[in-house]
Amino acid sequence: MSDPIIRFDDVTFTYAATDEPALHSISLDIQAGEYVAILGLNGAGKTTLGLCVNGVIPTMLGGNLEGKVTVAGLDVSEYPVREMAKIVGMVFDNPEFQMSQMSVAEEVALGLENAGVPYEDMKRIIPETLELVGLAGFEERSPLGLSGGQQQRLAIAAVLAMQPQVLIMDEPTSNLDPIGKQEVFDMAAKLNRERGMTVIVIEHEVEVMARYADRVIVLDSGRVVMNGTPQEIFSQVDALGELKLRVPEAARLAQLLAKQELWSGPVPIRTESAVEAVNELLGAHNV
Amino acid sequence: MSMQMALPIAMIPGNSVIHRINPLAKIVWVVGYIALAFSTQNVFLLYGMALFAFLLAPIAGVTKPLLKGALILVPVASSLLAIQIIAPAVEKPWTHVADIGVLQLYGDGLYYGFVLLGRVVSCLLMALIMVMTTHPSDLFTSLSKLKIPYAFNFMLAMTLQLIPVFQREVGIIMSAQKSRGMKGRGFAAVLPSFVPVFVGAIERVQQLSISLESRGFGSNGFKTSYRQVKVRPSDWVIGIIGALLLATLVTVSIMRGLWSVSSLVVFPHIFVFWLFIVAAGTFAAIILATLIYAFKK
Ligand SMILES: Nc1ncnc2c1ncn2[C@@H]1O[C@H](COP(=O)(O)OP(=O)(O)OP(=O)(O)O)[C@@H](O)[C@H]1O
Ligand SMILES: [Mg+2]
Repeated sequence: MSDPIIRFDDVTFTYAATDEPALHSISLDIQAGEYVAILGLNGAGKTTLGLCVNGVIPTMLGGNLEGKVTVAGLDVSEYPVREMAKIVGMVFDNPEFQMSQMSVAEEVALGLENAGVPYEDMKRIIPETLELVGLAGFEERSPLGLSGGQQQRLAIAAVLAMQPQVLIMDEPTSNLDPIGKQEVFDMAAKLNRERGMTVIVIEHEVEVMARYADRVIVLDSGRVVMNGTPQEIFSQVDALGELKLRVPEAARLAQLLAKQELWSGPVPIRTESAVEAVNELLGAHNV
Repeated sequence: MSMQMALPIAMIPGNSVIHRINPLAKIVWVVGYIALAFSTQNVFLLYGMALFAFLLAPIAGVTKPLLKGALILVPVASSLLAIQIIAPAVEKPWTHVADIGVLQLYGDGLYYGFVLLGRVVSCLLMALIMVMTTHPSDLFTSLSKLKIPYAFNFMLAMTLQLIPVFQREVGIIMSAQKSRGMKGRGFAAVLPSFVPVFVGAIERVQQLSISLESRGFGSNGFKTSYRQVKVRPSDWVIGIIGALLLATLVTVSIMRGLWSVSSLVVFPHIFVFWLFIVAAGTFAAIILATLIYAFKK
């Protein structure tokens, strides 16, 4: 197997002016081209983990980092964030705080300008990227005059335009309506499939993650407590419940049916497979 | 209420002749203004410069915001003139003009006071005209074409990028405070908004700088620009005329020993007296209004 694109080697990180580490002895490998979902309660350390990958930790935010984070073979602590930006793109959780330009087009252009992309290419890439996130025609609008959901799309576009190898999105759809959420995750899945972009999504919506992710990592109080395929993770209904995390409705249904001894076999994690299974069940009971 | 009111120092979009001048040509004028203002003591020249800058405002369609921005000059001017009248920054002997209680008024410092004020007014007006008619990105793009040290450029760009954000923030907080029953207009109304704005600003600046750096902002390599800033023949003309004219005036000024014309300007005693009353009164009123407003909350 080739080297992982992201490797956490026994990483413990403590923010400046705090005693309790936000991340505890994390060891993780993420392969190029994976679509990884990170789950966890508020304060579990999800954002902190993301910041370790793009290098904001330790180069921009102080604190104490032990262990080593390697991205595309580079020791993250040795490169400034602006250099890591060529490899890792990160969409942060507060869209408004990511807007800095006077127009939508310039907001998307910022990263391209810094990467030295020629003007002619920018003229093509910017509308393409805006189209991709559903903001076609918004070029001349002021970023600050957009709705929260539109700003989130713009924040994604601003990062996507740079075509990073690794895309990290920190709760990228919290302001989006259900259709909007789906569009964003479909888009990420498409980039993941077609361009082999490694995608890391920090997300509370388990249904969505069950559908899209190759792998689910569960954080709790700064530790990786679960790490596996969505099937492996979401079928552990009780364990997730103990962590106070939601599970997909399909898995919960199966769990309830199993308690009534109406269900045996693999736990479905997607609604469609649950429907199929329940149909079979009804058939078996001649209903 | 328009948000422009709170912090009137951002670009006012427009397509006037002044807006279309290349940022570098405008920088020539601003730098020339500063150089000339500080190498002359000729009040006619200084206020002529101020008048010229002011006359550009209607052409650019920014008269109103310019006047609002220039409001900052009221406390500056009133305190500066009042202080020069009671404590001239020139050598003794001073000519005693009048008494107000224990205060003794002199006219000797007044010429120098008007020189200082003329410098501030002319440079501020020109700089405001430039900022109000130049797109921040265009300015940044143009500056990076010069070999301006990167750190300086970075700070400038960050500041310019934050202005609209702050403007909005002040607007939001002002309306929030209004809805909680705070009254007031103008300066006094803006003042209390600044505290939450600046508290919030610290977090915002950190978040924004993280977001900017994560998009490669500040990297050293070759950069391109999405906004294409044109340099037309007229820009060359404006820039060269500005450079020549202002350089000539600077030279003349220096050769004439700063070109002070204080001997031509005589302030009648009665003028000094009333000027002091108005200046000191205005300044005291501003201070008082600010204090009352601050303590009422
Ligand atoms: N800048 C900071 N300084 C000090 N402590 C911080 C800082 N940022 C986060 N923390 C702490 O680190 C821990 C992990 O925070 P983190 O933001 O990574 O959580 P999260 O999983 O992203 O939570 P959320 O779901 O709320 O976004 C928390 O205990 C938090 O209080
Ligand atoms: Mg977070």
